[in-house]
Amino acid sequence: MTAVRVGTLATRRVGAALAAGRLNLHLGPFSTALQSHSAKVTRYFCDLYRDCLVTLNEDEIVDYTLRVGAPNLLRRFVRPQIVPDPGFHFPALPLPAHMAPLALEMGMNLTAALQCFRFVMFHAGVVAKNDNAVMIAAHSGGGKSTLTAAMMEAGYRLLSDEFAILHRSRPVLQPYPRPVSLKNASIDVVQAFAGNDAVSTRLEGTPKGTIAYRRARRADVEAMNQVAVPKLLIFPHFTDGRQPGVTQVEPADAAMRLVAGSPNYQVVGEAAFESTMAMFDSLACYEISYGNTEDSVRLVEDLFQETGA
Amino acid sequence: MKRAFFRAAVGLTALPENQLDLSRFLRWAAHDHILGQVAAAHVDEAGGKLKDVLENARIRSAHDRRMLTFEADRISRALLGSGIEPVLLKGGAYVAAGLRAGRGRRVSDIDILVEDQRLAETEVLLREAGWQGDSSTAGDYDQQYYRRWMHELPPMRHGTRRTLIDVHHRLLPRTARLQPRHDLMMAASVKLESTGLRAFSPMDRFIHSAIHICADGAFETVARSFIELYYLFGDLEADDRRRLIDRAAEVNALKPVASALWAVSHYFGSANAHAALRSMGVMKVGVALRFILRVVVRGGRLAPVARLALYVRSHYMRMPLAMLAKHLFSKAFKRGGQARATRSGG
Repeated sequence: MTAVRVGTLATRRVGAALAAGRLNLHLGPFSTALQSHSAKVTRYFCDLYRDCLVTLNEDEIVDYTLRVGAPNLLRRFVRPQIVPDPGFHFPALPLPAHMAPLALEMGMNLTAALQCFRFVMFHAGVVAKNDNAVMIAAHSGGGKSTLTAAMMEAGYRLLSDEFAILHRSRPVLQPYPRPVSLKNASIDVVQAFAGNDAVSTRLEGTPKGTIAYRRARRADVEAMNQVAVPKLLIFPHFTDGRQPGVTQVEPADAAMRLVAGSPNYQVVGEAAFESTMAMFDSLACYEISYGNTEDSVRLVEDLFQETGA
Repeated sequence: MKRAFFRAAVGLTALPENQLDLSRFLRWAAHDHILGQVAAAHVDEAGGKLKDVLENARIRSAHDRRMLTFEADRISRALLGSGIEPVLLKGGAYVAAGLRAGRGRRVSDIDILVEDQRLAETEVLLREAGWQGDSSTAGDYDQQYYRRWMHELPPMRHGTRRTLIDVHHRLLPRTARLQPRHDLMMAASVKLESTGLRAFSPMDRFIHSAIHICADGAFETVARSFIELYYLFGDLEADDRRRLIDRAAEVNALKPVASALWAVSHYFGSANAHAALRSMGVMKVGVALRFILRVVVRGGRLAPVARLALYVRSHYMRMPLAMLAKHLFSKAFKRGGQARATRSGG
């Protein structure tokens, strides 16, 4: 069958396909066969992935398979739990069943992070304007996702909240526009400028605190095969109430920090080195500190202008 | 169906043409960790998503090959001047010797065999070169268990590269029912040009693989194991094939070799393996084992039960029953307590 957008299908049909393991998500460079019996996974998927393309059959060749379900038969019924199973042994923590969306998103991250070798993966949020990209490096508490979501409101398209996906043969980034993961206070911030409809219901009390997801927009999904050239690499530092500040980072230092957060750089090997070095040839690298979201967006926009992009 | 999959996996036949079969085949191959081998056997056939999947597997297995080559080099460097010439076992040897069994193979650790009396010295030298006891088996019980009863040292992990090495001094645990003559096999081993390490002779490689798979393993990845046997058997010269059974008898490994020949003959339709099996005369492969293996390979509802049976069998083969009971008791209680305390798992 030809691919259709999730939003054009009845929730019941998506649920049946998920239960039977016949639902294939085609997003960016990856196809993922999803399986789940959880109604919560179905509801979440129909909402947050509504603009994404899927096929409903089992004869599709896919990059990854992901099952999201109870860790065992007992936990399907008694104090039910849910856990992502990416098809290889991974010691993922079972979550209470109502945290199904988190289990799905964790599973989606795992499948790509640990099984993709066709691209060099870095842990970073990526947005782009006119196919020139800004990479926002991950750093615990740094505010990667909040800044990524804020840049979406400032007229940038979303490539990914989680992975900068670099081609091996040339320094361009491949989009993988999945929902942006928001934590704690940043949920209110993003909801205030993106609107209630753009953000999922909240999951309270997860291992990472309160979590909600911001949907990738239709335009982001439609541009999912349109690569972007990385121009700017940002290491964000959020401290409440702090005055905005910018520090330039030596490309070599920036490269080492970025590589340290790559799940597959060593495995891809020489091609990863070549492509990463080519990327850094035309990449401006900065650390920014800020105390509120408006400041961070302004800093990034100014630096983006300076790159001449 | 599964037999067709085995044959396609080693390139005896083309990949399934029917789209549904092809997608099932690829999911089976991914699950059994043989995608890299499939990708190595089918280099020109792929387009579209199939190309993506196979290319991805190739990049992965190229890394494993690099890692193995490098680690083999580090091992021979660590032992340089000591006169210890370890035999590379399994995947390490297949890759170093450039065998078909090594093409595209997923490898996570490296196995070597040294003489019993040089074991302590080997351990010291490897420690000096940066390998340390792995935290998952650092507990007193595990350390004693390995050293007293097993055929290898507790696994050692390199401090910075995180690669894992298993140092063997025999092929099966000291307590195993079967005691193959590893001394004879070591004596017939050959030097590998590329590394300064050694490998078993082609015949002994097949015999060791049969021992490892049919007399020690719990058949966790059946497809991977049988493909390995198929390639190793297929690489034997006619002369070696004729002498194989005598050699198996000599090194005390007739039973596992019979099972291995059955697998190669049954799943890959190898006439040579069938003939070798026939020539063994009264030696028959256990009907029960064959049945259980077939169920595991086919999959389905009974497969978990069959896998449990193989797991129990692997332990039964490893040690006397009273000892097994004591070991399982200790594993369940002592190690469980340790795991809870250290969260190291086990």
